[in-house]
Amino acid sequence: MAESGSVGGRGKWGYIWRHWVTLFLHLLAILLFTRGFLLTRTELPFYSHTSDLSHSPCFSSSSSSSSSSNASSGWTEPAVNRLVIIVLDAIRFDFVAPSTFFPETKAWMNKLEVLKNAASTHPSSAKIFKAIADPPTTSLQRLKGLTTGGLPTFVDVGNSFGAPAIVEDNFINQLVQNGKKVVMMGDDTWTQLFPHHFERSYPYPSFNVKDLHTVDNGCIEHLFPTLYEEDWDVLIAHFLGVDHAGHIFGVDSTPMIEKLEQYNNILERVIEVLENQSGPGSLHENTLLVVMGDHGQTLNGDHGGGSAEEVETAIFAMSFKKPPSFVPPEFDTYSCQMDLNGKNVCISSMQQLDFAVTMSALLGIPFPYGSIGHINPELYALGAGRWNSDASQKLSESDFWMQNYANALCINSWQVKRYLDAYSASSAVGFSHDDISRIASAYAQAENYWSHSTIELLLDRNNGSDTLMPVLKRQINAYFNFLSTVAELARSKWTEFDLNLMGTGTGIMVISLIFQLHAILRANKQHGLTSSSPRGSWITPGTTFALFLLGIRACSFLSNSYILEEGKVANFLLSTSGIVALRQSLIKDKRLIESVGFLFLSTFCRFVIEVGLSKQAATSAFMKDYTSWILNIASALPVWDYAAEVVPMLVLILLAFWLYKVTSRSFCVCPWKYVILGTILSYMLIVVHWITDSERFGVALVPESIGRTYIPRIVYAIALGQMLLMAFGQLFKDNYLDCKSNLVAKASAMLSTWSSTVILLSGKQGPMIAFASLVGGYFLMRLNNGEEDAKEPRRSFSIGPFPVMQWSLFATCLFFCSGHWCAFDGLRYGAAFIGFEEFMLVRQAMLLTIDTFGFSIILPVFGLPLLVATKHQTNVGKHVLFTQLSQMYTIYGFITSIMMTFTILCVTIQRRHLMVWGLFAPKFVFDVFGLILTDVLICLASVYYFGQGKDDPELKSS
Amino acid sequence: MLCFDLIRGSIPSSMDRRKSREESTATGASPPQKISATEALIVNLLCVVGLGLAFCVANKGYSFDLVTDPSRTLFFIWIIELPIVILLFSRYRQNRQLCTYLGAVGRGLLGLPLGALLNSLGAIALGAPVTFQYLQKTVQWSLMMSLFTIVPASSVLGFSWTDWRRIFAQTKPNGSVEYLICLPAHGAVIGGWFGAWPMPLDWEKPWQEWPISVSYGAIAGYLVGVVASCGFVLAHGRSKHVKRD
Repeated sequence: MAESGSVGGRGKWGYIWRHWVTLFLHLLAILLFTRGFLLTRTELPFYSHTSDLSHSPCFSSSSSSSSSSNASSGWTEPAVNRLVIIVLDAIRFDFVAPSTFFPETKAWMNKLEVLKNAASTHPSSAKIFKAIADPPTTSLQRLKGLTTGGLPTFVDVGNSFGAPAIVEDNFINQLVQNGKKVVMMGDDTWTQLFPHHFERSYPYPSFNVKDLHTVDNGCIEHLFPTLYEEDWDVLIAHFLGVDHAGHIFGVDSTPMIEKLEQYNNILERVIEVLENQSGPGSLHENTLLVVMGDHGQTLNGDHGGGSAEEVETAIFAMSFKKPPSFVPPEFDTYSCQMDLNGKNVCISSMQQLDFAVTMSALLGIPFPYGSIGHINPELYALGAGRWNSDASQKLSESDFWMQNYANALCINSWQVKRYLDAYSASSAVGFSHDDISRIASAYAQAENYWSHSTIELLLDRNNGSDTLMPVLKRQINAYFNFLSTVAELARSKWTEFDLNLMGTGTGIMVISLIFQLHAILRANKQHGLTSSSPRGSWITPGTTFALFLLGIRACSFLSNSYILEEGKVANFLLSTSGIVALRQSLIKDKRLIESVGFLFLSTFCRFVIEVGLSKQAATSAFMKDYTSWILNIASALPVWDYAAEVVPMLVLILLAFWLYKVTSRSFCVCPWKYVILGTILSYMLIVVHWITDSERFGVALVPESIGRTYIPRIVYAIALGQMLLMAFGQLFKDNYLDCKSNLVAKASAMLSTWSSTVILLSGKQGPMIAFASLVGGYFLMRLNNGEEDAKEPRRSFSIGPFPVMQWSLFATCLFFCSGHWCAFDGLRYGAAFIGFEEFMLVRQAMLLTIDTFGFSIILPVFGLPLLVATKHQTNVGKHVLFTQLSQMYTIYGFITSIMMTFTILCVTIQRRHLMVWGLFAPKFVFDVFGLILTDVLICLASVYYFGQGKDDPELKSS
Repeated sequence: MLCFDLIRGSIPSSMDRRKSREESTATGASPPQKISATEALIVNLLCVVGLGLAFCVANKGYSFDLVTDPSRTLFFIWIIELPIVILLFSRYRQNRQLCTYLGAVGRGLLGLPLGALLNSLGAIALGAPVTFQYLQKTVQWSLMMSLFTIVPASSVLGFSWTDWRRIFAQTKPNGSVEYLICLPAHGAVIGGWFGAWPMPLDWEKPWQEWPISVSYGAIAGYLVGVVASCGFVLAHGRSKHVKRD
């Protein structure tokens, strides 16, 4: 009683306010969750240059010592000439380390004996490190991290959106900039990341996980000849066999052990070749060999997450400089164990983050601009032999090395500080004030030491070791302090999910669900009051079945396979609902044609979705071997080509004709009629646009430039004009229409307004899909209508959720039918540039949104009133109609929010899953956009549709 | 050779349909009651034994199963089930006055391809592959499904649209024979529907291929339906007994 009174009292806002509250709750939930989940980092377009060093307080390599090397090359003095990097994908730490380091000996341990032996027999020139990677531990992200020295996140905001190539400053780029020649062989991810950097490259496809040997054999084939050649400075060989063996067979399997034994042989030969060539004047006189994993793997062969097994990998480094260099003992962080043969093996620990900068320092090139690692002393010490010849020093080798290292760290700290300053200045989401001041103070302290005491000591060459060492140690510790503060801060910002924020977001999402459910049930209760039917009648088989479908669809998001095949899953459920509807109409023996037609339509959708998936297969790595027969047919027949040009236009003309018929019918009056006429004009313009665009017809109806740019703009302008007209139409209250017809007229006008733009953006497939959605919508309305007839009129006041569920499933299918899928390469970027040549973020983003969600969200949401209005044969009165419409919008929103909630749960549960960045996160982003857009459109639609006069005679009479 | 019912059914008119409905309610009401619970159990048992026999022949005789060679296994299933189902269910035909035993057998044979068509259309609507390499499997699968769903009904019910509607759309079986038709058919369809679920998963198991998992689901559902129908027939008989007392 009070409730209905309040609704009546507040007029149209009584229907609307709940949608706004929902929108607000969703925005809040999404905002919180996203801040916790989607870690973002801005890529800076800056590069390090050799000349930059003059801005630093440190010595450049030329001034720090009088060594004979040519000083122009880099920041630090080059310590090695050539570098051989062998990347063994997904090498676990326990593959490399002796089994005595672990509590239990497993079958896969002690296979890479050669590395262990080298480390134990030449402790000063060969070293094994436990390398700690940072999540996400996927190859692409890891290679990016290794070469840039940064912490790549899911959303690295930069100008490389869509293409994987690294645009940030990186180790490889610095090599090329400084005249080093790089040769690459193996995993083709490298050539994707660095398309133009390699002197020579021998890439092999990496995505066929079942293929254990192609990449490795290719590597071996090119590796050994290349080792004897002179025309390179850095060689990169990336082996994939272990990663693939892990994915297919797991770690504890024969193929894995065979692979490891194979690698052992290869590495043995590589070391032999390098050793033989390492005499004075030989090819590998001063070469450093690095054997490393990019990440680890779990026992099942999965990686991507942040568990210890996944992040712990190994780096083995061996210098072939003779005599071996000296290792300063102060910084050693190693632990030693006897191996099975009784030899002493020492293993140190380092962060993968430090790899890029350490290698840059060893080669004497500028450090990558965005690197935040520090020069690892032990790895750096492997190149220390270079300076032994410097005879002018009074200092011991060790002191001299320390001096050098202190200077290198000085450069390192200055470079990191420069990056952080630039990042804070240019990124939208920078570091907090506290963090920045903490970093600044640590840097200031180190800097203070340097400029006040250390530098003087270093310049004064007469100091002995006794005075120098304590100062140097203090200096180095100050730099360590600064650099580790930075790394810690960066990790917390770029690699750790904020579970509190994610939890809060999920909680608010659940609250919004409860709110919506309450709203739906309340509206139901109102029906009960007004129509005096017994409560509880709402729980029908239809409702149960709709909830069942919704439950299946929502739960399907918990598995990556179902997300990958989401289109098929949605279509499966749509067809199921069609079969149930068919059964329903068989029971009632009416609307048979409609339900059979709907079933055929969903079958048709199914084939279109498969064509769309085959397009996805072309770009997506997941489905490369999926071939579609439909595409084969399409390419085989030339007639097909011609039909593909003509049929859309014919369908569009058909649509226009249909619209014309609609307008000529009686219920369309003044403003709405003109709106629809505008749409017909738009359709004609689109046809003209397509004719001028295609070469096939060769008729120049209008000059090409006009056809290409002005016609789309005119179509957009007409659509905007129609919007304005409708907005003004709201102001004039027309009494000569009853509420129901008015609703139909408004909805048709709104749909036709949007349709022209959506069709134009969708391209040639647009008219067909528009036609399909029209037919599908018509069938759904008719089916729903049939349902009403059978029941008693009293009970039919509330609409069960089944038609709405079908409506929503159909909309989802249309999303996939129109050639989209939930990945960033599923966006049709071309659509954003129809009618515009130049890029403007807001404008192009709007066009892209309309193209992506046009058929799946915009049209279904605005078309929902038709489902309500056509349900009733007779005029039921404004209050009933609007309450129903409001309820249906709430149900529609509820369905969308349930999906979103499950997506959120899914990404929370699977946040350490292998596919989290490849699959779940894009799906999450698409769902977020979809949900917000749905909410906003529901709010707008309710403002638009409920904006009718207050008088409600029908209700009073009933 | 085919019975009168068939000729009449091919040119149905509303008059005819109404007549047949009256007949089926008048004359067809009595035959279902004739079948006793034991007889129903035996019919079900024979169907299940046929199914087991088919698997046995495939497995022991030719050493393949549903996973290794789905189309031949499905072929065995339907070719062995076909005589069992048709011969058994034709005995319970309705309108005995109008239709001979052989006529009922003919109706069953006619129902086989039609039911297969219906089932395959349903499967394609739900996403079954239509490429040429799957054609044979789809055909064999739909023939098997037809035997589970349509063939018994067409042998028993003939062309009586109202009975078809009552059993398959409204799920209101009447009498023990109709339970034997209705429940296993629904079980097979629902089981097949659930059987399609594991197909998209990335487990890379051979049985995830079309139509293997769906066939397993359908057979499982069919068996559940058979058991349920036995239960219903028993319960039905008991309640009838009580009523009669």
